[in-house]
Amino acid sequence: MSGMHPSSNEPRRVLVLDDEPLILLDLEFAVEDAGCKPLTALDLVEALSIVQNNAISAAILDVSLGQGQTCEQVARALAALGVPYVLHTGDLDRMDEAVRSLGGTLVPKPTPASVVVARALEPLTVRHQ
Amino acid sequence: MNHNSFNDSPVPDRTDQAHTAFDSSVARFRAQHPEDTFSGASGVLFEQAMAQTRMAICLCDPHEPDMPIVFANRAFRHLTGYEEHEIVGRNCRFLQGPHSDRSALVRIRNALANEEVTVVELLNYRKDGSAFWNALHLGPVYDAEGKLVYFFGSQWDVSDVRAARAEELHARELARELSHRMKNMFAVIGGIVNFTGRVRGVEAEAREINDRIQALGRAYETTLDDSRRGTVEVGQAIRAVLAPYDPDGTRFRFEGNGLRSDFGAVSVLGLSLHELAVNAIRNGALSTDKGWVTVAWRKNGSADGPAIRIDWMEHGRGSGVPDSDSAFSGADGIVDRMLDMARGGIVREWHSEGLRAKLNIPLREAAE
Repeated sequence: MSGMHPSSNEPRRVLVLDDEPLILLDLEFAVEDAGCKPLTALDLVEALSIVQNNAISAAILDVSLGQGQTCEQVARALAALGVPYVLHTGDLDRMDEAVRSLGGTLVPKPTPASVVVARALEPLTVRHQ
Repeated sequence: MNHNSFNDSPVPDRTDQAHTAFDSSVARFRAQHPEDTFSGASGVLFEQAMAQTRMAICLCDPHEPDMPIVFANRAFRHLTGYEEHEIVGRNCRFLQGPHSDRSALVRIRNALANEEVTVVELLNYRKDGSAFWNALHLGPVYDAEGKLVYFFGSQWDVSDVRAARAEELHARELARELSHRMKNMFAVIGGIVNFTGRVRGVEAEAREINDRIQALGRAYETTLDDSRRGTVEVGQAIRAVLAPYDPDGTRFRFEGNGLRSDFGAVSVLGLSLHELAVNAIRNGALSTDKGWVTVAWRKNGSADGPAIRIDWMEHGRGSGVPDSDSAFSGADGIVDRMLDMARGGIVREWHSEGLRAKLNIPLREAAE
């Protein structure tokens, strides 16, 4: 199963960030279905704290988090750690240039949660094959 | 120069700039600047052009302190509401006001300093205090020896143009925001269906429901850009619905462009094509590596009963007739029932290459 870390029996940790709880719930199930351990965040503060305190293997980031906030800060933190992430967004056109330039994989909303998770885990399976 | 020929114009009562030719300010300016070569044909041309144009025009003298206006035509006075004696001798900045953009003023200053031609849009104020957007075109005027004589400025009120631009921009922003919210809402609905299916142990059913809902969402996505027209481009909706089944863009060939339909046809059209694609993946051309599907659409039917006709032609399936009826019509005949309900229909034929389906959906054309 792609969810298992190759060097241990620990399931991989996947950060899931979305300001919509119902989408978060759906993605959490989908991450579990892929054999990984979901760590969910509803906002920037939660997400940054998860990134700081856990070894994350991959991440799914909602781009616009309400009140003008974007996931840019989290994306930068992950990029600095070399953690792959997908940008999950309902508005690719309006997406902040700064976020776009971060170079995560873009997954338009709505995409089935299982597909979003598969896209997020893609870099891991390629790397370890 | 004879002004009277203009005074005798057959339409003396017209007050707009195109029809009021006589402008004594031109003659006064020429009288005060005899050193400028406004004699002969060019003088006549200058006089008539300045007088007749609806474009507000002024000349400024860069050799006088604070570059005063030395000439302003009638259109300039008409535009700004000032009398000639209130204009001549003053620097152009008297048209500026509290909300004039500093960066526009800097651009004007730079153009003057470098003797460049430039166009700047800036907020100016009339004598009565009302504001207007002024498309100011300015540039240097040289004499025969190439020496700078004047700066030329033409002013055009573009307030209406700017208002229209702003309105269009606002409408676009609104459509985008709506589109964003709608996609989010479809994502949320998908989430609800999925986790409900999961906790109830009916994941397969939930997935089927969700796939249909998401197909509907894709079909409607395209309607937002066209919301003001009240119609949808059928081809865009078809492409959007089928896109997820063809990630590499090699499995579908689309034929037919430009056909528009009312919003009403979108849901049935979108869901029908979704079901056909799902069946093609299960049993048809898309279940093989090399199969592909042609989707063609056109306007059909009579003048009083127009319809959208969609041809779904599968290619390269290679094997014979499917082993059951369900491969023809889908597990539950949902396509047939939806199209019936929309007062349309579907006819299926099986060819050696695969399924050929002809769909008909009534077209309620909006007036365009």
